[in-house]
Amino acid sequence: MQDKLIRSKGKVLVAMSGGVDSSVAAAILVEQGYEVIGATMQVWDYSECDITEGNGTCCSSIDVDDARAVADKLNIPFYVLNCEAKFKAHVIDPFINAYLNGQTPLPCVNCNTYLKFDHLIKKMKELGCDYLATGHYAQIQKDTTGESHIVTSTDDWKDQTYFLFTIDPEIIPRLLFPIGHLKKAAVRELAEKKNLLVAKKKDSTGICFVGKAGYDQFINANVSQKILDTKKGLIKKFPTGEVMSSHEGIHHFTIGQGKGLGMTYHEKLFVIRIDSLDNTVWVGEEKYLFSDEVDVIEPHLLADIVDGETLNIKIRYQQQGSLAQILKTETGFKLKFHSPQRAVTPGQAAVFYRNQNILLGGGWIKI
Amino acid sequence: MSEIASPMDSRIYLDHNATTAPSKKVLLNLPRLISEWGNPSSIHFSSRGPKNILRETRRELAEILKCSPLEIIFNSGASEGNNTVLKSVWQKFGLEKNEYIISHVEHPSVLKTAHYLEELGAVVHLIPVSRDGKMDLDFIEKKINPKTALISCMFANNETGTIFPLQQISQIAQKHNVLIHSDCVQAFGKSEINLADLNLDYATFSGHKFYTLKGVGILYVKKNAPYTNLIHGGAQERHRRGGTENILGIASVQLMLGELKYLNQKILTMRTLRDQMEKDILNQIKNVTITAYECDRLPNTSSMVISGVDGETLLMSLDISGFSVSTGAACSSGSPDPSPVLLAMGLSRAEAQNSLRIGLGWETTRDDIEKFIFALIEIVDRIRSVDVNRENYAG
Repeated sequence: MQDKLIRSKGKVLVAMSGGVDSSVAAAILVEQGYEVIGATMQVWDYSECDITEGNGTCCSSIDVDDARAVADKLNIPFYVLNCEAKFKAHVIDPFINAYLNGQTPLPCVNCNTYLKFDHLIKKMKELGCDYLATGHYAQIQKDTTGESHIVTSTDDWKDQTYFLFTIDPEIIPRLLFPIGHLKKAAVRELAEKKNLLVAKKKDSTGICFVGKAGYDQFINANVSQKILDTKKGLIKKFPTGEVMSSHEGIHHFTIGQGKGLGMTYHEKLFVIRIDSLDNTVWVGEEKYLFSDEVDVIEPHLLADIVDGETLNIKIRYQQQGSLAQILKTETGFKLKFHSPQRAVTPGQAAVFYRNQNILLGGGWIKI
Repeated sequence: MSEIASPMDSRIYLDHNATTAPSKKVLLNLPRLISEWGNPSSIHFSSRGPKNILRETRRELAEILKCSPLEIIFNSGASEGNNTVLKSVWQKFGLEKNEYIISHVEHPSVLKTAHYLEELGAVVHLIPVSRDGKMDLDFIEKKINPKTALISCMFANNETGTIFPLQQISQIAQKHNVLIHSDCVQAFGKSEINLADLNLDYATFSGHKFYTLKGVGILYVKKNAPYTNLIHGGAQERHRRGGTENILGIASVQLMLGELKYLNQKILTMRTLRDQMEKDILNQIKNVTITAYECDRLPNTSSMVISGVDGETLLMSLDISGFSVSTGAACSSGSPDPSPVLLAMGLSRAEAQNSLRIGLGWETTRDDIEKFIFALIEIVDRIRSVDVNRENYAG
C-alpha cells in the first residue's frame, strides 16, 4: 500500500546527457519516489568522429554510454532517441549560418526550443509521462495565484535560465528541474554519495558538438571551401574606415573579440561590428563597444510585461544582468539600459527578469 | 522452475526473432551439462563425455537437416558462419570469379561481409525484394554469368518473416554451376529444413534463436564445397575451426533437437496465435498494414506499419508496460535508424519508422497475446492523440 502511495508521485521522463547534472537529477527523482524513465537524445552523427569502424572500436558516443550506465545503476528504463536530423536542421545549420552572417549564435537555446522542450515534451506525452525533467540549473516556483514560473537557480554562476526563455509557458507545470535548488559542488557531492560513475566527470563547457579545436574549425570542416571563400574580406578601423588588413572569413570573428586579430596597433583593438554584406570586420578602441540601446526582435514571453517597465536584463550567459527600460516596438522591444553595455552581440539573446529572478521571456539581439 | 527466478518473469516477451530464452529443459539440465567440463581433444577420461556430446549432437543434427555429420561444423554463431562462407568463396575464386548475387534484405553479417569483399575487388549485385515480400528471381537470371561465384539468400527474413523460394534459387544456381549459401537462422525451429531437397552448398544456423544457450552456431558445408578456416588453430572440427568447442552450448543444442519432434505442433500453435493477433489488431486499430501479409511467412513473425505512430516511441511505451518487441533488427547502437530491410523492400522512411515487429515463441500463450493487444490499443491511441493535439510550432 505504501509502495503504491509513493508511486503515485507520477511518471517522469528525464533527459540524461551522461553528465553529472542530469545524472543527479535522475537519481534525486528516483529517491523522491517518482517512476523515472531516462532518455538521451542522440544529436550528432558520432559515426563521423575520429574513431571509425574498422579502426579499433565502434563509435557510439561515450556520453550516451555514461547516461546508460547511470540509468542501469538506478535501475530505470533508458532509451536513446535518434534526434540527429532534427538537431542538424534546428541547431547545427542555424549555428553555421549565423556565423557565416556575422552573428554569434546561441545553439543551446535552439536545442531547448526544438529538442528538449518540444521533441521531448512530445515523447513525454506519448509515453504517458506526467513530467519532463532536465538537469538545468533553474527552478520552478508557484506564485500566490498558483501560477508556475521559472526562476533562477540557487547557483548564480551556473544558472541556465538564460537558455530557457523560449519555453512554452503552458508546459511549465509539467517541468521538473531537480537540481535547480543546489549549487554545483553539492550536485557533485550527491553524485559521489550515490556512487554515480560520472561524479568526477568534467563540466561540459562551451558547445557540445564543437570539439576542442574550436567553433571556427567546426565551421571550416562542415562548410564547403567555395562558400567559405565568399566570406573573406577586409578589416577596417572604426570609425575612420582605414583598411588595416584582410581576413579569411567573417566567421572567425565575434563582437568584443580582442585576441587573434593578427595586427599590431599602438592601442588595443576590438571587433566592433561585422558587416555581412561586404564582409567587413570593423575594429576599434574599446570605448566603441559600449551602447545603451539594444533592439530585440522575435520576442517570446512567458508572462506579461508592462510597456516602459524597468527589468533586469541579461544580454549574455553568465552575466548578472543590468537594469533597462523595456519599450514595445513593431518587431519586438527596444531596451534602454541604465548604464552602457559592453559588446552587445547580434545573434545572442536578451533575456528579461522581474525581481532579479523570475524569467519573463526574451528575444534576439539585432544590430 | 520456481527455483530459478528471473527479472523477466513478469514480462511478456514477443521478440523471439532477436533471441529466445533458453528452454526450461536446458536450464534444468545445466548442472549435469556443466559437469562435462573436459576438453574433448584430451586423450584422458575427462574428454569422453564432451566428445560424446559433440558426436551425438552432430549426428542428430545431420539426421534432422538431412546431411552428413561430416558436413556440420560447430562455431560461435551465424555471424561467424556467414563470414566464413563468404570469405571462403572469396579465398577460392578471388578476382577470377568475383561476382556475388546477394538478397538485399540479408542480415548485416552477410551484407557487410559482402561490402568488405567489394573493397577487395568483388562485385556485389543485390537481389531486389518487393514490399509484398517477393524476391525478383529474374534479376538473378539476368545477373548470373561465368564470373558469378556465389548466390546468398536467407531462408526467411528476420524482420518480416517472408520465406524466399530457396529451392527455385538453388536450381538456378545449379543450372549455372554457381555456389549457393543460405542464412537459415530464422527458420530453424519455425519451419522444416531439408538440406537434401534444398541442395545448398552452405547453410548457417544459430542456437540462441531456438532456445539454447548463446554462443553456439552451426555451419553446414557441403562435401567438397570450397572452405577456408576463418579461425586457424587446433584440430577441432576436423581442422576446419580452431578453438576449444563450446560443449555447454552444443549440449543445449542437442537438448533442443529433441523438441523438434513436436515442431509441426509448435508451428501450428504459433501460426494460429499470430494470425488471430493480426486479425484482432487490424480490426481494432485503424490504419495498420501488415507488411508482406499475403506472402508465405514464418508462422511466428508479424511486421506491421502503424501509421502515424513512431515505432521507437511505441517500443519504449510497450517496454515500460512490460512487453518486449522490436522495431526491426535488434540494434547494437541503441539508436535505431529506420530498418534497412524495410527500406530495401520499398517502404518509405515514414513507414519504416512506423513499423513494429512482433516475434512469437514456442511458449507464447493466447493470454500473452490478448494482454499485448490490449496494451497496444491503449498506447497507439495515446501516441496518436498527442500528435493531433500538438501545436506543431517546431515544424
